[in-house]
Amino acid sequence: MSMAISVQDIGKQYWRAPRATHDNSLREALIDGARGLLTRRSEARPTKEGFWALKDVSFGIKHGENVGIIGMNGAGKSTLLKLISRIAAPTTGSIRLVGRVGALLEVGTGFHRELTGRENIFLYGSILGMHRHEIAEKFDAIVEFSEIGDFIDMPVKRYSSGMYVRLAFSVAAHLEPDILLLDEVLAVGDYTFQKKCIDFARRLQSKGSTILLVSHNMFSVKTMCERVIYIKNGRVAFDGPTDEGLHHYERDSYLADAPWFRPEGGHHPVEIQDVTVADESGAPKTLFRHGERMRITARYTASEPITDPHVLFSITRSDELLCCNFSTMTDRAKLQTLSGDGTIELLTPPLTLTADTYKVSVVVRQRGFERLLAARIGARFHVEHPVFAPDVFGVFHTPGTWTADPAPHR
Amino acid sequence: MMDSLDALALDAPKHGLGGPRSEPTAMPVTEILPDNQLVAFDAAGVWQYRGLLWVLILRDLKVLYRQTALGACWAIAQPLFTVAIFTVIFGHFAKIPTDGAPYALFAGSAIILWTYFAESVRRSATGLVTEAELIRKIYFPRLVIPLATVVSPMVDFAIALAVMLVLMLCYGVMPSWHIVLAVPTLAVTAMLALGVSLWLGPVNVRFRDVKHTLPFLIQIWMYASPIVYAASIVPDSVRWLYALNPMVGLIEAFRFAILGGTTPDLFALAVSVTVSSLLLFTGLIFFQRMERSFADII
Repeated sequence: MSMAISVQDIGKQYWRAPRATHDNSLREALIDGARGLLTRRSEARPTKEGFWALKDVSFGIKHGENVGIIGMNGAGKSTLLKLISRIAAPTTGSIRLVGRVGALLEVGTGFHRELTGRENIFLYGSILGMHRHEIAEKFDAIVEFSEIGDFIDMPVKRYSSGMYVRLAFSVAAHLEPDILLLDEVLAVGDYTFQKKCIDFARRLQSKGSTILLVSHNMFSVKTMCERVIYIKNGRVAFDGPTDEGLHHYERDSYLADAPWFRPEGGHHPVEIQDVTVADESGAPKTLFRHGERMRITARYTASEPITDPHVLFSITRSDELLCCNFSTMTDRAKLQTLSGDGTIELLTPPLTLTADTYKVSVVVRQRGFERLLAARIGARFHVEHPVFAPDVFGVFHTPGTWTADPAPHR
Repeated sequence: MMDSLDALALDAPKHGLGGPRSEPTAMPVTEILPDNQLVAFDAAGVWQYRGLLWVLILRDLKVLYRQTALGACWAIAQPLFTVAIFTVIFGHFAKIPTDGAPYALFAGSAIILWTYFAESVRRSATGLVTEAELIRKIYFPRLVIPLATVVSPMVDFAIALAVMLVLMLCYGVMPSWHIVLAVPTLAVTAMLALGVSLWLGPVNVRFRDVKHTLPFLIQIWMYASPIVYAASIVPDSVRWLYALNPMVGLIEAFRFAILGGTTPDLFALAVSVTVSSLLLFTGLIFFQRMERSFADII
């Protein structure tokens, strides 16, 4: 089959200086220019340090293929998508696209708050590259899909954020590209909305569209893509079957600082080395059956003794929904003083989470002061169950006790 | 029981490759090359996005006076007030000679063309930054933005022109057939505005200094153009230098188109057309050269 996307030795270099110095002014450029005139050109200034966001990236995607691009924050995934969607230009290499391209890097960019829903459908549709008659043709379908109803003639600034996203997405969903580029858009909104997004992507798949999906949500990557490209530090670290790629990624992404964690004064009194999950007997694994107990272990190094710490293990679903927290405070558990190297372990009750991908993060606080000492995102694990899927069964499932009273209600 | 649950449990996402595409032949091919290469001017790409151009123009028009009590009356009020102030100060107090025409008409005819020009340049040169969100997230030929912002002030221009004609009737001045010359004059002015913006816009993306310099520049440019005074008061010795300002020829021509009177200086007009074409042509090359880096630095 012919190639829909051919990426050849793509590199993207960003210049650090203009970003880093913040003072992005003409004055600086003028001074630089003047300096350049006065001194010999070759030694005028040391070549500014370039940062390669992507380097030597090559791959081909066939028509009808669905490929996920995975990688940590800042690995270059979004940059890659920007190059393929022509928003930014590569520094080296070339890209060839065969087919009509639709890129959704963000739902609703280009909406104008002062305009009505109706006007915005035409505006946003045109921005996405649809022709006017095409939008007019699909107008009713778009409105219906969005469930906006009579609000369609109201300025979108009066919309709730949910309505706003729904309308924007409906427009995008009616763009019928040969090649669809998606960046994290499936990660916004609530679960029903995500489901709708995934359904939309499936519909395109069934029509034979090529989909390139950048996502942190391993669940959607898994359900939508048969192949993944794992980008690590701007290079292709893996390109192949999804399961294998996710395995590589999970092994690498296993430990990261929580993005919101800012240690006071940059000082880490205690550092979490890693967080691992294992079954009840202590054998490490990442695939759990519904209802299994889990042993979570955090290895730490404390540079100063922490007496009676408040430790929290949180389980977060792939769509960033916090599912549960295990806390030494609520469990009234008194841990030993943390000092030197050691481990903190938790044996969970049977986990009745529905089938999805989850991650465990750990937070250590100082008891009493409640000062944040450490926060890390650790192990990922999957829960398997043929039936209990989150979109039908919610967050957890435990059987209840049912009775039906045959006596007629009077 | 299990069966029904299975049916409930999702339309099991097991699927392979999508079916073969129906018509793989007619698909458009896009080649993306590195940004250090000179790319030919992509007129076809801009044409393909003409729908977006139109929608952006409409959006600007719809949004401009939305949620204002007076609405489109502003398009009438603004030039009227400017004409009134200029008439009082320059016409009555300073008694600037106008080659015979009533001062209000003399100034008004120039003000409406100037306002169009200044508005176009102001919106167009800063338009890229205003649309930064779009540029960061969506691909389209960036030229669409300055194009749209040069066209949309034409509506205000048309309204102001209508007001001007009414004003002329009040003064008992009838427009002659010369008025058809207003169309090519406006066209060249639009070219000039676009040319200037194609240079200033990309610079403004990199250096926001442009935004701060612009009001100042426009004001100086206004006094360097025969708006409140007639070009005839400029001493002959510096006349040629004065005519290098492309707005001189255009304003004179426009005034002639509306009010008649002395035939405009053809030399100045030729300079206007040449400078406008030159700025537009070089501007297009410059813009095209810069536009691929907009998303990185905006």
